[in-house]
Amino acid sequence: MKEKDGYINCPEQQVILYVEKEDGQYGPMQTGSYLSGNYLDDYEIKRVHLEESLRIRVMKGEISMVKYYMVLEDLTLSELAARVGLSKTKVNRHLDPVHFGKAKVETLKKYADVFNVPVSNMLQVIMLKKGDNLESYTVLEEKKQTEGIEQVKTENPYVMLVIIGEKRK
Amino acid sequence: MITIPYKHKMAAHCESGSITSLLNNAGLDITEPMVFGISSGIFFGYFHKMKSFPFPTFIVRNKPGKMRENLTKRAGIKFHTYTFKDPEKGRQMLNRLLEQNIPTAAQVDFFYMDYIPSWERVHINVHFIVVVGLNTYHYLVSDSYFPELVSLKTESLNTARFAGGNMSPKGFLFHPEFIPKDIDYEKAIIKGIKKSCFNMLKIPIPFLGVKGIRLFAKKIIEWPSLARDTEHLSHEIMKINILLEDQGTGGGGFRFMFATFLQQAAGMINEPELLDFSKKMMEIGDGWREFSLLAARFGKNRDLGPERMKELSEKLMDRAQVEQQFFSQLYKTIK
Repeated sequence: MKEKDGYINCPEQQVILYVEKEDGQYGPMQTGSYLSGNYLDDYEIKRVHLEESLRIRVMKGEISMVKYYMVLEDLTLSELAARVGLSKTKVNRHLDPVHFGKAKVETLKKYADVFNVPVSNMLQVIMLKKGDNLESYTVLEEKKQTEGIEQVKTENPYVMLVIIGEKRK
Repeated sequence: MITIPYKHKMAAHCESGSITSLLNNAGLDITEPMVFGISSGIFFGYFHKMKSFPFPTFIVRNKPGKMRENLTKRAGIKFHTYTFKDPEKGRQMLNRLLEQNIPTAAQVDFFYMDYIPSWERVHINVHFIVVVGLNTYHYLVSDSYFPELVSLKTESLNTARFAGGNMSPKGFLFHPEFIPKDIDYEKAIIKGIKKSCFNMLKIPIPFLGVKGIRLFAKKIIEWPSLARDTEHLSHEIMKINILLEDQGTGGGGFRFMFATFLQQAAGMINEPELLDFSKKMMEIGDGWREFSLLAARFGKNRDLGPERMKELSEKLMDRAQVEQQFFSQLYKTIK
């Protein structure tokens, strides 16, 4: 690949490509990610749709929050079980809301740690009001565009400080 | 507070990049492509069904950790390595190494590297960073995928070092221990090339090497039946582009980096034939890039019917053909 063909404008995600320089020598160039530079909006649309479909199933009681995060984070049952240190059978049961309800708080904390979310988020779905619409906090938080709400860890592993901003007029 | 003076440089790949950066900072003048080539980094493997992956996937480099091991075998560079059962002991050892001013590479789950944009972060236990400093709440980190040194919460690094699951890092750390004064580059380069050819052509496993590319070509036709819906299929098809271009490959699924290695090797060991191979490998990389950009476009347009899958399959068959030819010729030349 020629150096001139490697240039992508994407300051948010920089990568190193090995390219042919003008003098014929091959070497590294720092540039932007092709996919993020061109198709990030498409990724976000799919992410929003996936989150929405999972959230609806959670709220209907079809799946638990374990399944919600497992699918969102592209983990298999085996991988999640290995990460939380439980058997696959047990994790499989926790995908179902009925069995999830019997899980200990300590177990929920294990799941929350793997998903890198506060343990309280294993029992709640946070939505933010944006004009007439509601938007998922999970997706907004990923984009670091949250306004008005902040979840801060405390020294107590089971308690999060939730800071809610002033209502805007 | 500890801050070790460390020259940070972005690199194409986290493992070859962190090894190169540690060696450069220890005084050895070696490039990332040279580390990659000597350690036979170039590879291909297709995994249609695996417990750890929710969807078929592929790799374009050798097994994580092998680059370091092969560099030791072929260039005599020794690394001190550590693994831990107890996270607390792992944390203490890293801090002790930093107190001794030793920049230390750590294997981590990429997901917890919160300075990286969220859309890039996935659970993968084989990311490598170099830790070069520490204060009460943060580690100072040199990550090949980030333009400058960054702070990472101590809690995030501790979690990332001891994440469970497939290829769990177990707190793995390493740093250079011994760098020979006179490395026999000729021997190391030839060995690296031979093993690369062997890996691509002769491993008797149907999903590895060139055989793996052919299997991928056959199996990609089945991908639509494995996806939840069109958006899921689109996501997985576009991930092909991530795996070939963005996930630290230097572009074209590491083929551009391997071409650079061959060009550098030609000069170092005075083997002009390698220059021709280098040019051919650059062209092969161009073909991979073309394939990956096509996949991204099909995914974005949700243009994912059987004809398109067939088109991708044919492109892959073509890659298998050219790589079979390339590595066979290279093997004969270098023998």
